[in-house]
Order: sequence, then structure tokens, then C-alpha cells
Amino acid sequence: MKLLMKEWKLCMHPMGYIMLLCSALILVPGYPYGVSCFYMGLAIYFICLTARENHDAGFTLTLPVSRRDAVRARILFCALLEVIDLALIGVFVLIKYLTGGPENPAGLDAGLALIGEAMILFALFNLIFFPLYYRDINKPGKAFMFASAAVFGWIILEIAATYTIDFVQNVLDHADGKNIGDKALFTLGGLALFLAGTAKSIQSSAKHFEETDLSL
Amino acid sequence: MDSEMMSPLAVEGLCKNYPAFRLEDVSFRLTPGTITGFIGRNGAGKTTTINSILSFVRPDAGKISFFGMDYPEHDREIKEKIGFVSAGMTYYTRKKLKAITDVTRTFYPEWDDAAYRKWLDAFGLDEGKTPAELSNGMKIKYALALALSHGAELLILDEPTSGLDPVSREELVEVFLRLKDEGKTVFFSTHITSDLEKCADRILFLQQGRLKADEELETFREAWRIAECGKEIPEALKQASRGCCRIREGYTVLVRKEDAAAFETREASLEEIMIHLEKEAEEA
Repeated sequence: MKLLMKEWKLCMHPMGYIMLLCSALILVPGYPYGVSCFYMGLAIYFICLTARENHDAGFTLTLPVSRRDAVRARILFCALLEVIDLALIGVFVLIKYLTGGPENPAGLDAGLALIGEAMILFALFNLIFFPLYYRDINKPGKAFMFASAAVFGWIILEIAATYTIDFVQNVLDHADGKNIGDKALFTLGGLALFLAGTAKSIQSSAKHFEETDLSL
Repeated sequence: MDSEMMSPLAVEGLCKNYPAFRLEDVSFRLTPGTITGFIGRNGAGKTTTINSILSFVRPDAGKISFFGMDYPEHDREIKEKIGFVSAGMTYYTRKKLKAITDVTRTFYPEWDDAAYRKWLDAFGLDEGKTPAELSNGMKIKYALALALSHGAELLILDEPTSGLDPVSREELVEVFLRLKDEGKTVFFSTHITSDLEKCADRILFLQQGRLKADEELETFREAWRIAECGKEIPEALKQASRGCCRIREGYTVLVRKEDAAAFETREASLEEIMIHLEKEAEEA
């Protein structure tokens, strides 16, 4: 908890707050909504970049905490931002549902399945970004490049799937109340992936960070 | 054995290999309540040693213990008893000192707010400022204030006086002496040896990754003499030389005290000893 507070008070970049507002992109018609999750990844990249510029690792590792604690705190803090982003996505999905509008031609409609999709995207980002970042904390750009490429690759697949895969096209890609069981199941699957992916990310990242010589 | 076990810092056989540099078999032990100067030219391995001691880098071999506790196995207990200050590392330059302190204090059960206020006053620090607004000397003093407020008994300082003007350096030296008077142990690396002449009890001299000397300051200084000569160095002096430097009038030659009787010599300063020994190593 103390380290989470440290992350918030000393490492949080203002872009983190701004990028949370990007969840409002769901109100934009004909927009690939998965991209709003990419902006959260960008905020996490800014946090890690700011941490490097402020010698955060040097400060943190002189505190009575282990390297593993430091890694866990950073990833959990970022996961917390992602959860807030998910909640905001939920709010904007609800607003979109209540206000109505045309179907989205660029990927999933703003419905329940979109929240599951967002969780999958965050799981993917966490699984790739943090383990790469903790191999060399001075190169967050490299980790961000690979994680972003994976996220955009998945978004492209998602958009393609809404035109080519029957289940996605006819079940997930609708914001109405039909097939709610299937959509809920998909979203729960997304939640499971998000939790498992983040846990695995913490484990791999801590292992890399414990083995790394720090150039502070 | 007790005093050995309670050494604030004991390092045995520390080794770290890099492609272009090797830290070899560094061993030393600090005495409580003393100031130890860790000297050597840039690139000698001082920072690598400190980074290894603090586990910022993983040593390839060696044993490190603080206050009788092995490191990094007891890293949390140890970190509560040590403070690390590096001139090269300024944390959170745009955050107010108060914000940094508010976070830092939560990690230390022994945090003493009265002591923190005392050190802020003593150093003339304003909590409303950011590190970016402080001079280099004030940044070091703030880092010291944080370390001293959580009850650090050992202070490890990496080049704390580098880049400071002579007056600021003098102020810091006075702070170190005050800390020593309070029973703290100070271990600081520097290549500005004149600072150590004023305050150090013991000297560790690192040369090309190897510890060349681990002695009391006075013993170290008294072991060497400087001979001055013209532009031709006499053969006998050449034979006794442990390094020579060009000066305006000719040369200065470092000789061991036991070899000095045959020559006209004077006391050697710490800086002269270090420079001449480095010259010898370069020529070897």
C-alpha cells in the first residue's frame, strides 16, 4: 500500500489522468474503440519514462523494500489505472446505449463484449510491456513499441473478426440485450485473462528485474 | 568477534566483471563511528563497488554484510539502518521536497520528525522548493536530512562533494564531522582528496578495480614522501620512484618512506600520493 501511494504521489504522470478521459472516444461514431485502450498503454509508458528521468528506481531501492515489491507496486498501480479505465469505458458504453446511435463499422459495438475486449487488450499489453521493460528500465520505449504493436495487431484482428467470424459478427458485435449470456461469458473470459495476464506479468517482470544490473 | 560482527559494513572478496572492466577481490571492513574515504580516479571502480554493495548491480562473487546481517538476505532491516546519497542521482526534480518526504517517512518505523525538522533548519532547506530549485550542495543536504531522519547509522555517499564549490564542500565536511561526533559511520567515495584530509580516519584506495590500500589516513600518508628534482631525474631516484609527475620546475617523485633517506623529501599529500601511484600504474 505504501508503495502504491509512492507510485501515485511521485510517479504518476499527468498524461495518466488525460488518457483516462480517452475512454470517452466510445462516444465517437465509427471509431475503433480498442484504440482507447492503447492510450492507457501510452499513459503507462509515460509513467515509466518519468520514473527513469526521476531516478525512481534508485530512490525506491534505497527504501526498505525488495526489488520484487517495487515491481509488484508499479504493475498493480498501472493495473489499477486500467481498472479505472475499464469502469469509465463501462460508463460511456452505458451512455452510448441510452443515447443510441448507428452500429460501429470499425470493430466491436459499444456493448458488454467491448469491456471484455478491453480487458484482453490490457492483459496483452501488461504481458508484453512490463517483462520487457524490467529487462532494462532505461529503455521503456522499446517495451512500448513491442506492446503497442501487439495491441494494434489484436485490434486489427478484432475488426476483421467482426466481418469474418460468425460468432463475433452476430453475437459479440451488437450492443443490444440479445445473447447476453454469451457476451457475459466472453467478458468473464476477458476478466480471467486480465487477472492471469497481470499476475504472470508481475512474476516475469520481478524475475527479470531481480537479475538485472541497474544502470542508475 | 562481537565488534567484527557489528561492523557497519563488511565486504569480502567482492568481484564484478564487465566486458571492459573488472572489480577484483575487494575486501574491507568499516569501524563504527568513523569516516572512511574511498578514493581512486574516475573509472577506478568506486561507484561499481558502491552499486554492488547496495545490490544495484549483482556481484559475481563476494560477501557483503551490514551490522552483522548478510545482504541482500536481510535487505529490509539493513536499509532501515543505512542512508545512501549520490551526487549523480537527483530524485523527482519537479516534486516539492515536502511531497518526497511525506512518501519517504511512511517506509520507516523509526522516522523521527523532530530530527527531520532539526536537519532542515540546520541545512536551511525550504520544503516548498523542488530539487530542481536547489543547488547541488543543497540537494546533497536534503538527501542527508532524509537519511538522518530515519535513524541511519551508516551513511554511504557516492561523490557527495563533486561539482561543489569550495565553501559548499567545506560545509559538507563539517556535516560529516558532526555526524561522526554523533556516532554515525560515514563511508564516502571521492576523487577530491583534500576533503578527506580534513575529516577521514581511514582511506581505501582503489586502483583499476583493485583495492591498493586500506589504512589509517595518517599511516597511509606517512608511508610516502615526495622528492622534487629538476628536469633530469637522478638514476637512484628513478630506481626508488613509485610514480613521477611533471611540474613547472621539473619533476616530483613519489618514494616509499623507507627508501627516502637518501633523498631530500617532504611530506606527501593524499592527492599527490594518488596521482603519482596512478601515473605509475599508467606507465606499468
